[in-house]
Amino acid sequence: MTDVLLECQAIVKVFPGVRALDGVGLRLTAGSVHALLGENGAGKSTLIKVLTGVHTPDSGRLLWRGGEVRPRSPLEATRIGIGVVHQERNLIPGFSVAENITLQSPPSRRGLIDRAAMTDPALRCLGELGLDLDPDRPVRELSVAQQQLVEIAKALYTESRVLLLDEPTASLSPREAERLFEVVRRLKARGTCVVFVSHKLEEVFAICDTVTVLRDGASVLESSPLAEHTPDDVVGLMVGRAHAATQLRPREVDTSAAPVLSLDAVSTAAGHRDISLDVRAGEIVGLYGLVGAGRSELVKAVLGLDRVTGGEIRVHGEPVRIASPRQALHRFGIGYLTENRKEEGVFLDQPIARNITVTVWKRLAKALGFVSAREERDVAHDLVERLGIRIAGLERHAGELSGGNQQKVSLAKWLAADTRLLIVDEPTVGVDVRTKHAFHELIWELARDGLPILLISSDLAEMITLADRVVVMADHRIRGEVDNDRDYERMSGRIIRVIHDRATSAVRPRAVEA
Amino acid sequence: MMTIRDRGAAALRRFSRSTTTTLLCVVLVGYLALGVASSGSFFEGPSVRTFLRYLATPVLIGLAQMVALCVGQLNLAVGALGGFTACLMGVLMADQGVPAGVAVVAGVLVATAVGLVTGLFIVVTKINGFIVTLGTMTILQGAQYGLTGTRTVDGYSAALRDFGRAAPLNVPLVFLTALAAAALLAAFLYRATAGRRLLAAGGNPLAARLSGISTDRQIVLAHTVSGLLIGVAALTATASLPGVNRSVGGDWLLPSFAAPIIGGVALTGGSVAVLGTVLAAFVMRLIDAARAQFSLDPSWVNFLIGVVVLGTVVGGRIHQSHVAKRGGSRGSAPPAPPRGDARPAAVSPHPGGSG
Repeated sequence: MTDVLLECQAIVKVFPGVRALDGVGLRLTAGSVHALLGENGAGKSTLIKVLTGVHTPDSGRLLWRGGEVRPRSPLEATRIGIGVVHQERNLIPGFSVAENITLQSPPSRRGLIDRAAMTDPALRCLGELGLDLDPDRPVRELSVAQQQLVEIAKALYTESRVLLLDEPTASLSPREAERLFEVVRRLKARGTCVVFVSHKLEEVFAICDTVTVLRDGASVLESSPLAEHTPDDVVGLMVGRAHAATQLRPREVDTSAAPVLSLDAVSTAAGHRDISLDVRAGEIVGLYGLVGAGRSELVKAVLGLDRVTGGEIRVHGEPVRIASPRQALHRFGIGYLTENRKEEGVFLDQPIARNITVTVWKRLAKALGFVSAREERDVAHDLVERLGIRIAGLERHAGELSGGNQQKVSLAKWLAADTRLLIVDEPTVGVDVRTKHAFHELIWELARDGLPILLISSDLAEMITLADRVVVMADHRIRGEVDNDRDYERMSGRIIRVIHDRATSAVRPRAVEA
Repeated sequence: MMTIRDRGAAALRRFSRSTTTTLLCVVLVGYLALGVASSGSFFEGPSVRTFLRYLATPVLIGLAQMVALCVGQLNLAVGALGGFTACLMGVLMADQGVPAGVAVVAGVLVATAVGLVTGLFIVVTKINGFIVTLGTMTILQGAQYGLTGTRTVDGYSAALRDFGRAAPLNVPLVFLTALAAAALLAAFLYRATAGRRLLAAGGNPLAARLSGISTDRQIVLAHTVSGLLIGVAALTATASLPGVNRSVGGDWLLPSFAAPIIGGVALTGGSVAVLGTVLAAFVMRLIDAARAQFSLDPSWVNFLIGVVVLGTVVGGRIHQSHVAKRGGSRGSAPPAPPRGDARPAAVSPHPGGSG
């Protein structure tokens, strides 16, 4: 009955400074749907990369039907029978559905593609999934959901017995997700093992048979039947008690002060509905949600990068329409510390001084628009001192700095502009623990000096360390708000319950003294 | 499941909406209009011969650029390599007395080899192809000047001249050569596994690599094929021109980009349109012929070609955003969602409580 396809034994993968996987075990049986769960950074992505041959494990064994295998490339993994559908689409846009499905080994005779022979297997794979798609249609004309299904058909063509689906429903509508689940059930019926990686516990409990939970790179629950667990159990295992939030010095927040930024029943073109929240002077408001909840998109709409379709945005009580980030900065004093540091945060091949003063060139400009190099240095120097940025010289390029210091440079440019409201998006992704701590203190002090801060983070520990109130978002809506009592275990349980449990989401937990 | 007839109809619908169809109409209407406006003299033998003879080289250089574009590369050395190869053929025949056949084969082989070396250089050094071909362009221009100096080499073999002049049934052999090259290229790109790999690597390098396709090899192959086509273009140019000098190839670069872009090829790689590129070269040749016919100011030709290139790109952009807006709703119906009873209740959409 239990036909084990793939087994992992004590997999360890070490990256410089991090034990990404620290003894992971996993058993995947034919004809089942297996949930792989864990918080951000628990090691899910690394495990997927090990299973698909992107990374080779430092120790531990992979057994395929009892025999040891060592896939060294994604291609080798597919040949063994392990397929993966990534979050990003991996299709050739100009090729037809049939060409994409058969891409890895197109039917050919003497070096010539056999088109007729290509259509049949493609139709067979689509048929097995119950899909009615024109095999000759170029995939660029398909919707994201349809493209994802084509990728699953592609995995069928290469005869994958184990199929990893990484956050497959992140960019799907509920209706599209249902169609995907139908396909997953068909795969299960034909003896495939589907590994379902998701943050959405409702979905996991709806379609999965067994579950593995990762925490800090180790499997804390290993291939256990899902029926033996409740969502609360699983959440408890995911969160654990290991990383307690850091305690910072207490700080007074005047909760009676008038809000600096208010959103009142805002809806956007990106799909947000009925978003209301306030940020007061000296307050750190956390905006928590899982990937795809729509937090960064909400901020983009506030900054005028996306259309606001309803409701009202008020700055210091005045209703405003913000047309562009330029207006947001120069008229309303709103700064946005982006999550994509390297792409949107700093100019890697420009001097540090110029990176810091980019927001204030207009103020520094003299006759004919020239910027005085000395004044530029003075402004930059003050901020480098104030934020404790470790640099070899102001004229060095920002690209030479470590991730944490780049992040500080990115922050410095908003402080240079005398920002009156700071929006901070995933500030400590990819920085080491010490810099992370220093950065937290920095944000804390900025708030103590009276700066209102809206903090977006997927890092629960960071949220609980910094935020005074945590507003929880899911599916582009606000699900609830939790006052932070800085007790990691109690808080994390509450926040995750607000996300997953609709019943409690309408109940606002009682206020707890900070 | 859709039937064969449905799929045939879908394919026909796609074709009727394509750039190629539009271009085909433009070519037919333009050619007829030009014929009528010249009171029929444009349809006579000598006019047709001249028209097609000087169409051969634009077609070939357009295809040479298209092959580079399809893997996401740019080849700035199209004109310089063509001019250099033409002069090399001329000098071999006129100065060294090499027979026409040998000189032509040598020229085409040298052009192919230069393409191969360019591709290898790009892959090994990982320097952007734009910069590498900018360099080879300048080097080849220097080499071309070194071969001919300021003179025009015209004392070359009668056999090649006869080839350039021959036009059975008013269709010049050089034009047939270009068409044959286009047909072979189309077969290679659309049917051969090697050609498909080229397109896959250009369309999505990451997905191609995951499927076991080496993108580096495809870049080398694309530049080699590009060099080969430029070699053939040099042959048709040498055969139909009265003589070769240092200015041959100097005005090839813009048309080499214009033809594939008008023909519907994406600059970002992954798409080709052999027929579209041939037809686009035809359209540009029509503009040129109209100028000759009506003695228009030559600057108008460049102006018109520029307008056509920009118009095509803007049109494509508008079409793209149109398609994106309509999303996957077009064409075949999406599979029916599972019935209500199979639906997991927990994932139904619901409004959230506010805080």
